[in-house]
Order: sequence, then structure tokens, then C-alpha cells
Amino acid sequence: MASEEHRTTAHLPETSTHEAMHASPPEKPAILAPGYAPLSFVAPQAGSYRLPSFGEAPNGEVLGEDGEPGSLHEAYGDKVVVLSFIFTTCHDINGCPLATYVLQQVQTALQSDPDIEDSVRLVSFSFDPELDTPEVISAYGNHFRSPDSDWLFLTTTGTEMLEPTLDAYGQWVIRDYDESGAYLGTMSHILRVFLIDKQKRIRNIYSTSFLHADTVFNDIKTVLMQPEP
Amino acid sequence: MYKTIIGLLSFLVLLSSVAVRADETCMSPYMAKIVGQEDYVYIWTLGMEGVGDGEDKLVTVDVNPDSESYAQVVHSISMGGRHEAHHSGLTDDRRYLWASGLDTSKIFIFDVHTDPGKPRLHRTIDDFVATTDGIVGPHTNYALPGRMLITGLSNNRDHGGRTGMAEYTNAGDFISSVWMPTDDNLQGAIKSGNYADGYGYDARALPRRNALVTSSFTGWNNYMMNLGKMMGDAEAMKRFGNTVVIWDLHARTPKKILDVPGAPLEIRCAWGSQSNYCFTTTALTSKIWLIYEDDEGEWQAKAVADIGDASKIPLPVDISISADDDHLWVNTWNDGKVRLFDISDPHAPSQVFEQQIGEQINMVSQSWDGERVYFTSSLLANWDKTASAEGNDLQYFKLFSWDGKTLTPEFSLDFVEMGLGAPHQMRFGAHALYASQPVPSKTIAQTEH
Repeated sequence: MASEEHRTTAHLPETSTHEAMHASPPEKPAILAPGYAPLSFVAPQAGSYRLPSFGEAPNGEVLGEDGEPGSLHEAYGDKVVVLSFIFTTCHDINGCPLATYVLQQVQTALQSDPDIEDSVRLVSFSFDPELDTPEVISAYGNHFRSPDSDWLFLTTTGTEMLEPTLDAYGQWVIRDYDESGAYLGTMSHILRVFLIDKQKRIRNIYSTSFLHADTVFNDIKTVLMQPEP
Repeated sequence: MYKTIIGLLSFLVLLSSVAVRADETCMSPYMAKIVGQEDYVYIWTLGMEGVGDGEDKLVTVDVNPDSESYAQVVHSISMGGRHEAHHSGLTDDRRYLWASGLDTSKIFIFDVHTDPGKPRLHRTIDDFVATTDGIVGPHTNYALPGRMLITGLSNNRDHGGRTGMAEYTNAGDFISSVWMPTDDNLQGAIKSGNYADGYGYDARALPRRNALVTSSFTGWNNYMMNLGKMMGDAEAMKRFGNTVVIWDLHARTPKKILDVPGAPLEIRCAWGSQSNYCFTTTALTSKIWLIYEDDEGEWQAKAVADIGDASKIPLPVDISISADDDHLWVNTWNDGKVRLFDISDPHAPSQVFEQQIGEQINMVSQSWDGERVYFTSSLLANWDKTASAEGNDLQYFKLFSWDGKTLTPEFSLDFVEMGLGAPHQMRFGAHALYASQPVPSKTIAQTEH
């Protein structure tokens, strides 16, 4: 059974953009989250169940990879969205890397299903504006995003822009500081990935024990088959 | 590698997503775990007429031995009346504690993160019955990702045992509800035996197997009735649950109804990554039941042990499974005893320990390492004993240390003497979960209304 909170190690990775980087951990952990392995059960058929609405997915101010300001709702557009909160220096294999890995697997599944690919957008949103500038988040995203896929990487100008969105999505974060008050680049947070429908309603939330590309992909198809919750 | 928060080195918050550590091992696995010394126990307490203000209340006890106010009530917040306070549960991020009343069906959501030593009422859900189309008696408050699953005990049509479950966002907004399967509406479930009573009680999930397991108790007509009167009413005694239902956790659809006769109550599932089983106990027949997935992938139920002498109606109530899945604490309300079973072979538990704790006993919660075991006494307002044999405690909160062989008393709080009421569900709190520093403790409890 999984503890859903995770913390990170302190050191910052080399942000080389020239080296191929896979959505896999830099070190092998003791136990991997279920999302890294084949699904351990037969999932219910897409469309055979319902995904009730949690309510509207909150809006918020963001910075795109080009540094231009915008909003989450603008980023969502008229797509089904899979939203993941991450930060690029997260090294907890069962934390942000898991989320990015799963989204990458969903990306692969979407590319094999052109009927729905154009209806879906992946969004990775950093809650570390201090380190994840637009340039950094864009470079990070380029390691995982296929050239033709619809996968946005977003950030913010700072905590003032970020915190209302985190609060609205129930994403608390505890940042680590040294005795002088300097940010150490590590933080604690609950891993959550959100499934948002075309009407911008949250239809599911996944945490570490639940997050799996097969489940997310099935839910995407279910939401598309059942536009009304 | 994990970092501790500045100044708070007393323990680590466990972060690995599939580790099997747990505090008070009965909670949902989808939440942060406290690995180390807990700071507080939040006790959802039933008001008693003539005891203090007579109101239900959330009582906070300091349980950190390094604290100046160790073993003292440091905070209490009263809830404006008696609601039949019963069970509580934390959200998956441990920032809010949901506590519900079986009579008024109100759910109180407490903020326990702003100041863990002073929970504050954040929101009250007072339309549970209407919103859920008639589910009465919110019982289990169980954390799922970003939401709470609430099991019911009864309904507003006949106040019998037919009931359902509901889901709310962590913020307290209604998402959906579903009724338990019955003979006239199995909802696609396989009825494997004689019963499909539609009753409910507890719920636990095994995400690896996409399984949700629910149990069955009785309805408002019974749980709000005087115990002696009920036991003398043959018709009332027929209206107890006899089922455990296995659900498709993702689809929230019932898959199989298992016969578990005699009111199966609390469910505790094993923590091991390959352990596809849970335990429950039957109040009326005094047995431990194993709910397990067999080698063919079918869920089964099997009685695996007796608890005391069933003819004396010990009445098993709360249970707690150890973090290593090797032991199961079982309380029996009527004789006030706790029993420990070796469940290393889940198909053949054996009792290895027994001790009298009080005149009556209900809840048991243990620390993550099993070295601290907490007990409370209250079951239901109209069932609790009102007289005690000399020397026995009636309404208490007790801490024992456990070394694998002996339960050693550490402290005991008499909740009636303290003007608080009848203590029930316990949940743990800790400052380090929220990176907050402990505030200076006070020796006198602060009360709020």
C-alpha cells in the first residue's frame, strides 16, 4: 500500500538538453509504484462505468514555454486534459518522475489511437517557479514529448502567481529552506494527476497507488464516450 | 534520500509510495504515513447527558512523551448537541479530519493542519441524507485520492439496514452515491450464497486488485435502540447484516456478495504487496473471517478463528492489523478485553495474548511500529454500559506500550470524570506532517463552542 506523500533529494540535476533523457529513474528504488509495471488487474471496459464530476477544474495564471502569460483554462482549450503537477528537480522515483512517465505512456497510447488523439491534451505544470523557468520547463518537456504530440509544459512567475492555483487544486507544498532562508530546491507534496473533460470538469484524480497509463487511457475514452458525467 | 524539515527531527514522514509502514494501521493507505512518534490523538467523543456540556466533541490529547503536556487534553471543540458521534477519518493529504454522527447524519470537517494541536471546524455537511437520496448514518470516512468515501448504515425510508455509500471531494462537495446490492437489485453482482441484504458498515480498498470490500451491520432502528430492549426483541435481532460485498473499485460496481453471517463489522486489509486478503469479525457469532482472493482470482470468505466463547456474547468490535501483517488486535466490547491473534498464516489465526482493559472496550489504534497501543471505550450511546464492576473503567482513553509480550499501561484518562463524554474513534496527528512547529503547550484544555 502506498504512502502518497513524497519528498525529494537536494541536488539539482544537470539540465543538459543534449543528452537523451528517459522518463525513468536515475537510480533503482526498493519498490516501484504500480504505474511502472503492467496493470495488475483487468480494468473495466471503457464506457462501462461512470466518472462523476468533482466540479469545475479551477482556473489559474500560468506562463507558457515561450514565457507568455496565459491561463490554465486557455491551456486546456476544448480538449480532454490530463493535468500533472511536477517540478523538474524531483528525483523521487514514485513522485513526479512517475507522473511524467505515465503521461509519456499515455502519449504513446494516444498516438496509436488517432480517433481520440486530437481530443486530448497533456499538461505538466510546475510548482517550482524559482527553478522551473519557461526555458527550463520547455527543455525538460522536450525530453519526453514527441514532436507531434499535444503536451504542454507550464510554469509561473513566482509563488504569488502559483499559490492560488495550488490552493484551488488542493496541492499543498512544503518547501525546504536553510537557516538563512534560502530555498534548498526540495519540497514535499502529494502526487496527484487530474483528468479534466472538455467542459473543464474534473472527472478523476489519481495518486501514486492509482496512477497507471492503462487506467488513465481508459478513463479518457470513457469521458469521451460519456460527455455528461 | 529524504530530508527532514528544519528543526523537526523527531521523525520522518515516509515517502516511498509503496512502502508498508503505517500509523494506526486501520487507516486508508492513500495518505501520508507517520513513521515515528505521533504528537496528538484526536478522539471523536460522544456527548453524555449530565457530563460536562453534554455535547459531542473532538478532543485532542497530547501523546508525545517529550511534550510538557504529555497525556493531557490540550484542546476540545464541542459540536452543539449530540449527533451519535462514532467514526472519523483523515483526507488523503491528512489536512482535514472528517467526523460523522450516526443519528443526525451530520459530517464535521476539521482543519487539523493549520495548528495540529487545535483542530478548527472548517465545514459542516448537514444535508447528507437529502443529497444522497436517503442514506442515513454516515459511518466510515475513508480517504481515496482527492476524495472521501462515506459508508452509510441506514436509510430514511424505513430506518432499517438497507443503505449505500457516498463520495465527496476533499473540500466537502458531493460527487456521487450508490446503494448496496440487494436481492431485488443486485446491480450485476453475483450472489454467492444466501444473502443480499443491502446493509453496510465499513469499507476498505485494495487498489492492486481493483477491489473495494464492504461489510454490514444494522440500521438506525437498532443502533439507536436501547441494547437490552433490542436483544429482547426477536424481530430486531433478525435485522443484522450477513454480507461482505466485493466491489470493482474503479467502476464502483458490486461484483460479488459473500455470506458472512452474524454482522461483520470492521475490515482490515493486509499491507503486504502480495497479500490479497482482509480480515473482519462478526459481532453476533464471535468469529474472525478471512476475505481473500483465491488462486483462481475469485474472492471468498471463510471463518478462520473463534474469538472467546461465543455463548457469552463477547461481541467483537474494533480490530487492528499490524504493519507487518503478522498480528491482529481484536477487542471484545462486552467483556472489556483485548485479544491478540497471530495471523502470520491468515487461514489459521491463533490467539497469543489476552488482557482485560476496562469494563467495556471498543476502539484500538496502534502506532506504526506497534509499540504503542491506544484504546477507547464507547460503542453507541444506547448500548454503552452505565454501571461498572468495582475497579473497572467505563469511559476511558488509555495508552499501553507493547513489547511483543506485555501490555504496560502508560496513562489512562477518565473521560466522564473530566467532563468530556464517551470517547470513540482515534486518529493521529503530527506537526511534522505540515512542517509546523509545536506551539507552547498548556496544561488546561482549551474548549471551544
